[in-house]
Amino acid sequence: MIRTEQLSFSVGEFSLRDFSLEVAEGGYFVMLGPPGAGKTVFLECLCGLRRVEGGRVFIDGRDVTTLEPRARGIGYVPQDYALFPHLSVKRNIGFGLRARRDSGGEVSAKVERLTELLGIDRLLNRNVADLSGGEKQRTALARALVMEPKVLLLDEPVCALDEETRQSVCSLLHRIQRKFALTVIHVSHNLEEAFSVADRAAILNQGVLQQVGSLDALLRKPANEFVARFMRCENIFGDDAGLKLSESRQGRFKVMIRPEDVVVLRPDERQDGNDNILPVSLLRWRDYGGYVKAEFSGRLNIVAHLSHAAFARLDAKPGDQFIAVLHPERMHAFAV
Amino acid sequence: MAAASHSPWRGWRDFLFAAGGLFFVAVFVGFVILLIIADAFYIDKKAVLTVLKAGFIRHALWMSVWTSFAATFIALLFAVPVGYSLSRYRFPGRVLVDAIIELPIVFPPLVAGLTLLVFFSQTSLGKWIQDDLGIEFVFQRKGIILCQFLVSASFAIRSAKTAFDEVDRRFEDVALTLGCTRWSAFRRVSLPLALNGIIAGGILTWARAFGLFGPLLIFVGSFRGRTEVLSTTIFLEQSVGNIEVALALAMLMIVVAVIALTTIHLVGGKTQVKL
Repeated sequence: MIRTEQLSFSVGEFSLRDFSLEVAEGGYFVMLGPPGAGKTVFLECLCGLRRVEGGRVFIDGRDVTTLEPRARGIGYVPQDYALFPHLSVKRNIGFGLRARRDSGGEVSAKVERLTELLGIDRLLNRNVADLSGGEKQRTALARALVMEPKVLLLDEPVCALDEETRQSVCSLLHRIQRKFALTVIHVSHNLEEAFSVADRAAILNQGVLQQVGSLDALLRKPANEFVARFMRCENIFGDDAGLKLSESRQGRFKVMIRPEDVVVLRPDERQDGNDNILPVSLLRWRDYGGYVKAEFSGRLNIVAHLSHAAFARLDAKPGDQFIAVLHPERMHAFAV
Repeated sequence: MAAASHSPWRGWRDFLFAAGGLFFVAVFVGFVILLIIADAFYIDKKAVLTVLKAGFIRHALWMSVWTSFAATFIALLFAVPVGYSLSRYRFPGRVLVDAIIELPIVFPPLVAGLTLLVFFSQTSLGKWIQDDLGIEFVFQRKGIILCQFLVSASFAIRSAKTAFDEVDRRFEDVALTLGCTRWSAFRRVSLPLALNGIIAGGILTWARAFGLFGPLLIFVGSFRGRTEVLSTTIFLEQSVGNIEVALALAMLMIVVAVIALTTIHLVGGKTQVKL
């Protein structure tokens, strides 16, 4: 279990303020945010590589705020892996064991067992400069795991990899987390990556936690406009848009609906009077492989993600008139 | 087709570019070799025999070699912690400290000799070190090493700092999370990664110390069999008109320098492979 209580840290104009977070034991937590949001700084504060100005860090129930990095029981895989270039793969992985003076035989046995599990046993005598991105990633992971940490901190662990390797490494990370019952914090700016591994997630911006919860909650019930936009929701409207909601709302607010929840009908199709019915015309569309992104203009500009079948059924051309249906129960309002 | 794809020259422009660079290499190396050949032709057999047989020259050679290596060793002892600290830590007055460390590189070596002489013979602290502590430098062998150290240590420090600058801090950070203390992260990660740069600095330092002449004449003099080193012997021999002997000594210095530099390069290379 990892818990931070009102953690604060600042460097230059950047600061983390009152950062409180709890990651359950055995959980796979993804910290999302744009570059410069403070994700890496947060991990470095957990590792003890940066001295925090206030607050406390608990790992496995133990207050580790003032402990050295080596005494915290964490495994850390930094961005770009930071493999030691003067050591072979084997010596990289065994580095921590040798630093704590394990015997040579013990080091070899542990390194071989782990590398077999990660499928990199054939690389042991290679130079790290000669490894591919995926091999480097696995080596860095093995170097952290061989120390048998309870907590694993991963900083953008797959961002430098191609799509195929990224998917295989993500599923490996998930398997490893389950096998070793690790509590993982995985930092990323990539939503797909988060969906492939996370139990829970948080969104960070400019050193401030915006929202913590399940990915579904972040996706469908964003706490604010930043979260909604980060989760790629483009349909965000003001409270003056005159849209019907499933429950009444006081004060200033904004309302959003996810593009995949927008229903598009031909003008002659039957509509339910309880829905928000908006006459729109097709501006442009683009095929993204898995779905078609269609942009409509009208009283409100609407973006819809439609299946290929749904889009084909509309037989749409730019300029054609349609009805955009926004179901109130699919809409979410947040205060501004 | 295969040969063409492996050729570094893909066209006449690439060829001209490479030829331009190599032309300057050839001019510089050729000029140095010409100078050495000119010296070699000027030396006669008698001068060579004098250099090979004279006891005072063997002594000066030995003094040159061991004092320059001792000064280099001490310079490196300072260079590693100073270079690391300047590379890693930010503190008030750091820019001034940087400038002071580089000062010996820019001021004339003669000034170093004069400054040392004034410090040890005119200031109360210098006199206390010499007279009360009994650590004598002026006109003593220890003074040779101190003089060489003062004039050449800046090269070692500058090179070490640059070498540590090039070692990504994250390597140390990762080592800290893998059970290392600060010292052990430095010893196991930063030092091996900076070693090539430190060795390069050591070579510059040694070259500067080995060839030092002016400040030594001022600070320790050139007492035959005591504080005489090869560079001061050359000066003394040419000042009494023994140009052939002076040149033969210069050739000897060149040979020693080539042997030392080659050995350092080889040992440095092996050290890196072992790590």
